[in-house]
Amino acid sequence: MKKWQIEGREFNSRLMIGSALYPSPEIMAQSIKASGSEIVTVALRRQSALSLKDGNSFWDIIRELSVTVLPNTAGCHTAKEAVTTAMMAREIFEVDWIKLEVIGNQYNLQPDPFELVKATKTLIDEGFRVLPYMTDDLVLAQKLADLGCTTLMPWGSPIGSGRGLMNPYSLKSIRKQFPDLNLIVDAGIGKPSDAIEAMELGFDGVLLNSAVALAQDPIKMAEAFKHAIIAGRLGFEAGAMEKRDMASPSTPTVGTPFWHQF
Amino acid sequence: MRVSVNGEIREFKAETLTIDKILEILGYKTGIAVALNETFIVKTKYRDTIVKDGDRLDILSPIQGG
Repeated sequence: MKKWQIEGREFNSRLMIGSALYPSPEIMAQSIKASGSEIVTVALRRQSALSLKDGNSFWDIIRELSVTVLPNTAGCHTAKEAVTTAMMAREIFEVDWIKLEVIGNQYNLQPDPFELVKATKTLIDEGFRVLPYMTDDLVLAQKLADLGCTTLMPWGSPIGSGRGLMNPYSLKSIRKQFPDLNLIVDAGIGKPSDAIEAMELGFDGVLLNSAVALAQDPIKMAEAFKHAIIAGRLGFEAGAMEKRDMASPSTPTVGTPFWHQF
Repeated sequence: MRVSVNGEIREFKAETLTIDKILEILGYKTGIAVALNETFIVKTKYRDTIVKDGDRLDILSPIQGG
């Protein structure tokens, strides 16, 4: 597959993968490798000096994988919290991009569009490349694009739900309205077929975590998603045939022998 | 002075301390980022930034994320 670019960086894989919820650090590392993903999401949390006494083993493993990290602002509920977290992430991870999450509802972890826009504006002014995790709202997409976002990450369905694409129509509308932006389906992917569907809609990539980490065999599932992303992208590039109401024989009818002569 | 460090109240003998000094007392080394009263403090300012009674310090480090 051809390389692609996102936020000034070039990658082979269009799969972005999370680093949380794996049964063990070893399985996390092997799953990331098996997925072929070159972009791994990470987070920041309060940690005691005692827990960091011998260094940060999680961070050591990620660094050994030689992947590009994409820090998130998970757990933030206001623009101010998200901006502070993003700035802390930029210093620690030494990257200028951020997966901006500002949660507005605890039940479905839906992003707060108002705080998201506020935080995006501040962070872009501060020189960040902002990748906003957002609902599949066309007007919100426009606001974020107007602020200067060149990547948008609408949800497929709520984080960790594994429900796939709840509203393909909305995602398709965003794709149609913003042909030049990088669009990533972020959250809600449960099965490889969900990722294929997102890629067939023309999305540029998929970001997922639970679908791999919570699979019975995360390493094998990571590999499945690697192939799903490729299949979906190639399918999109190849252009699917139009659906038809009537059957149409695929085997040539000219020269059909015997009795079925209409 | 009493300072909230990562949500826990900690007592220090001095009336004020720089962030640098507090991190040293608590035993933090590298791989952290600091916010004072919910405002990010860049590493180069640790030496000049004063923490006083009632302040809130958050010390963050990388973890798993989705």
